[in-house]
Amino acid sequence: MSSFNNINPPVLSDELGASHPINQVKDFLMNLLKDFGFNEVDGPEIESEEFNFDMLNIKKSHPARQMHDTFYVQNKSNLLRTHTSPVQIRSMLHSSPPLAYASAGKVYRKDDDATHLPMFHQVEGIYVDSEVNFAQLKDLIHKIIYAIFDEEVQIRFRPSYFPFTEPSAEVDILSENGKWLEILGCGIVNPIVLDNCNIDSNKYSGLAFGLGVERIAMLKYDIKDIRDFYKSNLDFLNQFK
Amino acid sequence: MKLLYKDLVKFIIDTPSIEELSDKLFQLGHEHEIENHIFDMELTPNRGDCLSLLGLARDLNTFYNTNLLVETYEEKIDSLDLDFINLSPNDCPKISFLELEIEDLPDKYHDYLENYFKILKVGKNNFFTDISNYISYELGQPTHCFDRIKLNGHISFESKECYSPFTTLLDTNIELKGNNCIFLNNNEIISLAGVMGGKSTACTKDTKKVLIECAYFNPESIIGKSIKYNLHSDAAHKFERGVDINSHEMVLRRFIKIVEQHAKIKNCKITSFNSKKISNKELPINLDRVNAILGTTISIDVFKNILERLGFNITSKIEVPSYRSDIISQNDVAEEIARVVGYDNIPSQTIVMSHTKKDNNKRNLIGIKSDLKNKGFYEVINFPFTSIENESSITLDNPLDSNKKNLRITLKESLIENLLYNERRQKDSIKLFEISDTYFNNNNNLEQNLKLGIIASGRVGHNYNNFSNKIDEAFLLDVFNSVFDDLDIAIEQIPRNNLDTKIKNNIFYLEIDLDKYQLNKAHVLNKEMDMEFRKYIPISEFPSSNRDFSFLIADYSKYDEVVETINKIKGMYLKDFFIFDFYKNEKNEEIKIGVRMIFQSNGKTLSDDDIKESISKILEPILSIEGVSVPGI
Repeated sequence: MSSFNNINPPVLSDELGASHPINQVKDFLMNLLKDFGFNEVDGPEIESEEFNFDMLNIKKSHPARQMHDTFYVQNKSNLLRTHTSPVQIRSMLHSSPPLAYASAGKVYRKDDDATHLPMFHQVEGIYVDSEVNFAQLKDLIHKIIYAIFDEEVQIRFRPSYFPFTEPSAEVDILSENGKWLEILGCGIVNPIVLDNCNIDSNKYSGLAFGLGVERIAMLKYDIKDIRDFYKSNLDFLNQFK
Repeated sequence: MKLLYKDLVKFIIDTPSIEELSDKLFQLGHEHEIENHIFDMELTPNRGDCLSLLGLARDLNTFYNTNLLVETYEEKIDSLDLDFINLSPNDCPKISFLELEIEDLPDKYHDYLENYFKILKVGKNNFFTDISNYISYELGQPTHCFDRIKLNGHISFESKECYSPFTTLLDTNIELKGNNCIFLNNNEIISLAGVMGGKSTACTKDTKKVLIECAYFNPESIIGKSIKYNLHSDAAHKFERGVDINSHEMVLRRFIKIVEQHAKIKNCKITSFNSKKISNKELPINLDRVNAILGTTISIDVFKNILERLGFNITSKIEVPSYRSDIISQNDVAEEIARVVGYDNIPSQTIVMSHTKKDNNKRNLIGIKSDLKNKGFYEVINFPFTSIENESSITLDNPLDSNKKNLRITLKESLIENLLYNERRQKDSIKLFEISDTYFNNNNNLEQNLKLGIIASGRVGHNYNNFSNKIDEAFLLDVFNSVFDDLDIAIEQIPRNNLDTKIKNNIFYLEIDLDKYQLNKAHVLNKEMDMEFRKYIPISEFPSSNRDFSFLIADYSKYDEVVETINKIKGMYLKDFFIFDFYKNEKNEEIKIGVRMIFQSNGKTLSDDDIKESISKILEPILSIEGVSVPGI
């Protein structure tokens, strides 16, 4: 039997904090893309119409450019980027193929309801080389989705529309309750976009894709209300140690 | 757009089931939901041609034998002599008018027309407007019906600056501002073109003579008008996405046919105004390019067959049908082929990314976050919108909340709000940080600075070493110095006198501009992320209650058993617990362990009785250990 003097206080475990779950998922996705060979690039959140829209083949008549969808600043001189795609544009303008860039960050849309927030996060990737095609895009998307979820997950590609890709696709996964859930958008980079970035679209082609970080986080953690991410509630944050 | 399954399959000879049709529509890229045999379509903005039964049937012709011809009036129609001038042909390159007069109004509609209103719950207006709405549903071309008796003299279309009141046919008063496409009758605005007609010339339930306008408006001339004036307009939705410029005669002959099925026609005349010859676009046939885009080996026969079934005319070139304004390049053609083959039927090809990996110079912040996390800090993310404004603020032109129209120049206010939010939820040890851009107007250069903000207040921690220690400047300085080396920083104590709180703990804050400092390499290296996605347990919005217990262990030989038992406690409503006190009484050879238990329910505010009931069960295994007691119980 040990003596009284040998009694030690209870062992203390570290009182750890936590990174924000959105940043955890964002970093996870970026690490995944870097493992595939993408280089991480960054860009400003306050953008010009030229980089956010024009260079991406989003025409003046596109609904996204209206005041009800986009936050404009300083008498419409600039805007809060509505997607991370202008980062790819800026990067392509300063390089030549073959190139592979991934970017992540906050984006803004004039939206605020139970399922949409005025600020959310995207992760995007672009790969430009000679002879990049849709069949290769499918392979890459399968690999990304298998890495995020698992290799048993059922995947569906369906046609969609993005001005900066053609053909364009949205990709769904089959959920446990039998419903298809939209996971990401992707496509073959529209040759107009390559030409805008001084890349010869007759010689090179590209693939691009984008994921909503909140969407992936909600699915992975089974979070039902997107607004929970931004309440800064310690009881919430404490679960992501 | 909602449409009836039975209306769509009328165009399809094979009569597929609704489930099969649904699969084919998804394959073609036409997302939808189905309820009670009604398709609720969510079409992509490039496919304005599919905003009708005919449009979708044209796409489905790739899979089925269809009959895309609708019943039209086939008799010769007299020419209408209309006093009309198109002053803005760039905005409206083609416009047609049909003048129609009937003897009597019908008592009831044929079933196909009646069902459209009844099943889809579309409101009826008057005979001619009802047919106009049905035709838009069936063929995708909006038309507008003027009461002919209310029109006098000269009619014109033009795009011009106008600032005047306008009352729509739905009796909505709006103020026209800026440039608008309008129809005028003797200089009075009678219609906001492509959006909605005016009340002064609108048809009524008694109208027997109409002038029907059928136009192609340039989408860029119409875009945004319905939202600008807050007018819900199916016509604007279609014109903004592009309609078929070559459909006017078919549409107006269909209009006459439906009228003829319901009433005796007294008079019928038609005219069309084309500003320029409109020919279909042509693209070269480039199968190699299409296969290169898709990574396929599709044969020329399959290629031609797919395009022909989609309505393209294949000669030595690809002639694009007039309703497909979205087809302008070989990539568009490739998408058409891929849609029909099926995206899921295109085999994947292993991708080998051939580029050379470059050094990644981007600063990675995972190291900083990891260090702060190890010090018990939680990362938060806040929206950048704030009410605080100074001379370098960047202002939103169209904020969601007019009280928060500026972008943050500091993270401080957001973090103070986060701290108070958690204090209101009974949190007594709050340690938060945020890494985010802040935004400045520097002589009209809009700049961003990446900042780290750290805020802390309350207890240093919950364990028995820290429970009684309050966060102070020295604590925060120690944390900061363990994360960053050799940085001079100023820690700010936030006064509570202007804050909406009764809590007295000191609040300490520091903010550094990460763009200004050369960070210690050890802290910026990317660390391996070992992600574990544990399922989230929804948190309670009900208040929590704390109960503290001091366990007296008279027989110190039972100490390990007591600690082990405490660490395993479970109970109803017990959300958390921790040992906040440990004391050895050398004289009596007794040990005291202080335990705080936190109770909270997901469904209600707990009463004392709820908590007492839970406590009695929690304490039972601890107090059953010989020599253990809770003084006072």
